[in-house]
Amino acid sequence: MLDSSPDATVQPTASVAQAVRPLRLAMVGKGGVGKSALCGTLARLFARRGHRVLALDVDTMPGLAFSLGLSPDRVGDAGMPEDLAERVPEKGWVLKEGVEVAALVQAHALIAPDGVRFLQLGKLPNRVKPGSTVAFRAVMEDFREEGWTLIGDLAAGTRQPFFGWSDFAEAILLVVEPSAKSTLSARRLAKLAYKTVSADQTDKLNLVKRTPLGIVANKVRSAEDVRRIEQALSGYNLPLLASIPYDPQLAQAEQDYHAPIDVAPNSPAVLALRELAERLEQWVDERPQIRRTL
Amino acid sequence: MKIAVVGKGGSGKTTTSGTLARLLAQQGRQVIALDCDSNPNLGLSLGLSLEETERLAAVRQALDDEETEHAPTVTEMLVRFGTTAPDGVRLVVVTKIEEVKPG
Repeated sequence: MLDSSPDATVQPTASVAQAVRPLRLAMVGKGGVGKSALCGTLARLFARRGHRVLALDVDTMPGLAFSLGLSPDRVGDAGMPEDLAERVPEKGWVLKEGVEVAALVQAHALIAPDGVRFLQLGKLPNRVKPGSTVAFRAVMEDFREEGWTLIGDLAAGTRQPFFGWSDFAEAILLVVEPSAKSTLSARRLAKLAYKTVSADQTDKLNLVKRTPLGIVANKVRSAEDVRRIEQALSGYNLPLLASIPYDPQLAQAEQDYHAPIDVAPNSPAVLALRELAERLEQWVDERPQIRRTL
Repeated sequence: MKIAVVGKGGSGKTTTSGTLARLLAQQGRQVIALDCDSNPNLGLSLGLSLEETERLAAVRQALDDEETEHAPTVTEMLVRFGTTAPDGVRLVVVTKIEEVKPG
């Protein structure tokens, strides 16, 4: 289990805010395990810890926006105008020449509470285009403005969530709930992560160190739940970064299109996520081999 | 009859599909259950073991990895990418082939 720091509930101080280093995180996992709720809450928590946060929803379902606290009537605007991207032979969808990513974020990201910027990826306004995921991947890869903490809510499932992120994210959070389907999916994702990272890697030991994958157990009701998740993923040598208790307040927030952090700021799940945010900052700092430079 | 089940991730598509398939089979119908999900878990909801569910996923994955070839006929597809679940439901993993190579 995780250590719980005694001062976890203390509000961040000014010195914390000044010392932050930007992070690049991605969330993966089976549909319905709570990626969006955790992602939105973490984004808000990082913002409160002094990060400048850009939250990216790579899924075509607009779940993350609600978890960030954006109201449903604003969410439809959270895309990039499609005339900024074009299809180039042999490269696929890319941003048009001269389109600055920083300016694009400035112009098109929605501003959520705590100053979190939000962009909907994988979808252009009013319609879903298969090419737009690729265009947005280009956005992410080209996002060179320093000082932003990026947090991506990746599409559910196991087919392609790592492509474009594997060389980019400093931490990929594998969200798992204690169901058979979720743990099976998590195992597939772990396998896929190793495969993706190992494409041009020969040093196996180094590979384990370089894979920035960690487990976030979600909707946990007992120690047995955590044990089951760890057992399903044993053999991948992944750290358990957090164990988030099952929390009916989060389910209620989701039903009402509200952000968990606004509805239940002191709920056990949000407190556990606060610890996770702190832990992630440390985890990435302790692993210089996964610090990605753009 | 042909039934398709759609919905958001985690809303219960797989559980609904698996249970419907078993119930229809129990009524005496011949049922083929098609798992079209890129994360194929339908085996679990049909009552298959974790191992058999994973075996089918691996057979399907071998296609993407170009370690095996497409089934030339529907019958062969049912055999190669399928297995028989309780109540005689024939489960086949038929996730569509996508261009997923990075870059």
